[in-house]
Amino acid sequence: MDDRKTNWPLTLFLLIVSAPILIMYVWLFIDSVSEINIESIWPEKFTLRNWRFLTEEIPGHGSVWTATLNTTIFATSVVAIVVVLSSTAGYALSRLKFPFRAPFLGIVLLLHSFPSVTLIISIFLMLRMIGLYDTLVGVILVKAALELPFGIWIMKGFYDTVPWEIEMAGLQDGASRFQVWYKLVLPQIMPGVAALAIFSFMAGWSEFVLPLILAPSSDTRLLSVYLAGLIIDDYLSDFGLFKAVGLFYVVPVMIFYLFTQDKLMNIYGGGTKG
Amino acid sequence: MLPASVTVTLFFVIPVMMTFVFSFTTMSSDTGILGNRYIVTKATILDLTEHGIDAALVRQLGHKVFRFNDAGLAKIREIGLDSSLVKEIEEKLSGDEFASEKALFAALKQLINRPRSFKHRKAISKSVVNTITNQEFRTAAAFRAGLVANGIKVDDATFGQLLDLTNTSWRWTTDNYVELLASDFTFKILANTAFYVFFTLLFNVGFALVLALATFYMPSGQSKFFRAVWLIPRISPSVIYVMLWKWFTFDSGFMSYFLGSLGVEPENWLNEFPWTFVIIVNGFVGASMGMIIFASAVLAIPADVLRAAEVDGAYPMQQVRRIILPLMAWPILFITSYQTLSLLTSFEYILLLTDGGPGFFTTETWALNAYHTALSNYFGNLRYGFGATLAVVLVFFGVALSLLYLRLFDFKKLVAEPLIEN
Repeated sequence: MDDRKTNWPLTLFLLIVSAPILIMYVWLFIDSVSEINIESIWPEKFTLRNWRFLTEEIPGHGSVWTATLNTTIFATSVVAIVVVLSSTAGYALSRLKFPFRAPFLGIVLLLHSFPSVTLIISIFLMLRMIGLYDTLVGVILVKAALELPFGIWIMKGFYDTVPWEIEMAGLQDGASRFQVWYKLVLPQIMPGVAALAIFSFMAGWSEFVLPLILAPSSDTRLLSVYLAGLIIDDYLSDFGLFKAVGLFYVVPVMIFYLFTQDKLMNIYGGGTKG
Repeated sequence: MLPASVTVTLFFVIPVMMTFVFSFTTMSSDTGILGNRYIVTKATILDLTEHGIDAALVRQLGHKVFRFNDAGLAKIREIGLDSSLVKEIEEKLSGDEFASEKALFAALKQLINRPRSFKHRKAISKSVVNTITNQEFRTAAAFRAGLVANGIKVDDATFGQLLDLTNTSWRWTTDNYVELLASDFTFKILANTAFYVFFTLLFNVGFALVLALATFYMPSGQSKFFRAVWLIPRISPSVIYVMLWKWFTFDSGFMSYFLGSLGVEPENWLNEFPWTFVIIVNGFVGASMGMIIFASAVLAIPADVLRAAEVDGAYPMQQVRRIILPLMAWPILFITSYQTLSLLTSFEYILLLTDGGPGFFTTETWALNAYHTALSNYFGNLRYGFGATLAVVLVFFGVALSLLYLRLFDFKKLVAEPLIEN
């Protein structure tokens, strides 16, 4: 509502409760490029020493670039799998009649609300048994599979909003079901596909528990696990370093979010207009 | 469609069932996760004597001999040693036998091209060793063949005993459930979990409502700003978000500095008030989700209704209480039930923040305890079976609450039949 006037007590109250977030993220920038002074939180001197991890390895922690590459591979693969499988499965669930459709949809819905960490122990054991433990492939498959129910569900929602008339017309004109899907329906739900892709990318980039448990070694480690390893290392208690690595890790996702937030919000709205 | 259902089944439906299966085993990092495993170790040899196995046989089982025969030499060639060294071994040591590793190493030292690294000496010793000790056999037949290859003869009765005593694999059991019911920690962790879920939920839903309503009654510029700020914790990866809280509460962090200027001694506030921060840290993240849902729910309320109330002289507080809150019952119910489930089962933020500490089980919740038991602890033995038993309880809650949502949110409509057939 645009006719609202500033209610100062209210604004002040929100400012105070929001202060921790603002302070933490402002000091994330400040401390990453300054020498830390134990006595005060104000920076003493500008330094790039905290960023040394870019050119040299922190002893015992491997290269940040391996972790960055792994994280990039991880996030993009998850996006590819989730988008391709959900956009096809969502269409099938929305528009096709096939045996066990209702039970399948029921399971997907159930899993959508079912928290996946509950399954981590048996997934860990199963990956050990089939030899995918501590491989990037294994953790990618698991993450993608756990994101799928959400993806299928969202995509089905988008397909449900596309008017039937478009497809009826396409079929009348002699197009095959696949052509109808690819040429007529898919373009209609592009905002949905984009939103799902953005969402999965951010989820993949931030994922911590799965790679921590399923791919912990230095060759397969993701940035989240790399940073967590630095923080719990008893020989390091250097918040300047942590913050520099943290900033290095968070900046891509923040920039990505700033550029895509309008598209991402479609995930809550659902579907094309009109 | 097919790939999607295969993946969902493989990584979702099967794990649920396997959690139950694993919960009835003694699987741990000591027993391994694969089936039968027969190993004669130093420990089992001591055990064997106690169980009345013939002393001569026990001595044979513990016996080691290092033979440079064809099989041993073949293995040496595969190690990847210098060819000159391999050649010298073939010339000088072929056919030799050593009774101990020490004697073998002494002989290796005499060679002109002697192996310099300990790793290489160990690899040679491993290639030529002939013993039953520390060898792993997956089947009884392989174990028997191993005994024969080492020239050990046993009768069937003794062999049966040996199989039993050397099998280190996991077994089927219901003891996990008995232990769960009998353990003193169960109650402590249950109480922790209830405390954590209740208060975090209160914080989450309460704050989400306050934020959604407060930003609704603000000029749009301000409300955009606050919503953006509150979304930051949700967007940023958990590791960074929690690290920043650790800094904030650290004894040289912001809180100590700020309170220090008021004359309070610096402290590690996280260690002083672990629960407070566990709830706040989780609550800030949870509140942003509720905020988004509630904010759009408030906007969905027809403006006419609010305008009418305003014309009739209702203050904002009265509007909130009499109109907005009753109309938002459903979103509130949805967020509450959804977050109950995710709080019960998620442990990511607590793991990063306190890892169940400080001290023993101070902030250990059920899900975190399952993770600690099965996948990461200080005792060395990871108890997969017992961890799975703890997870079964969570799976049970998860399925029950998920089914409840489906009932609440009108499942039939969601699976309505499609209009075009085939």
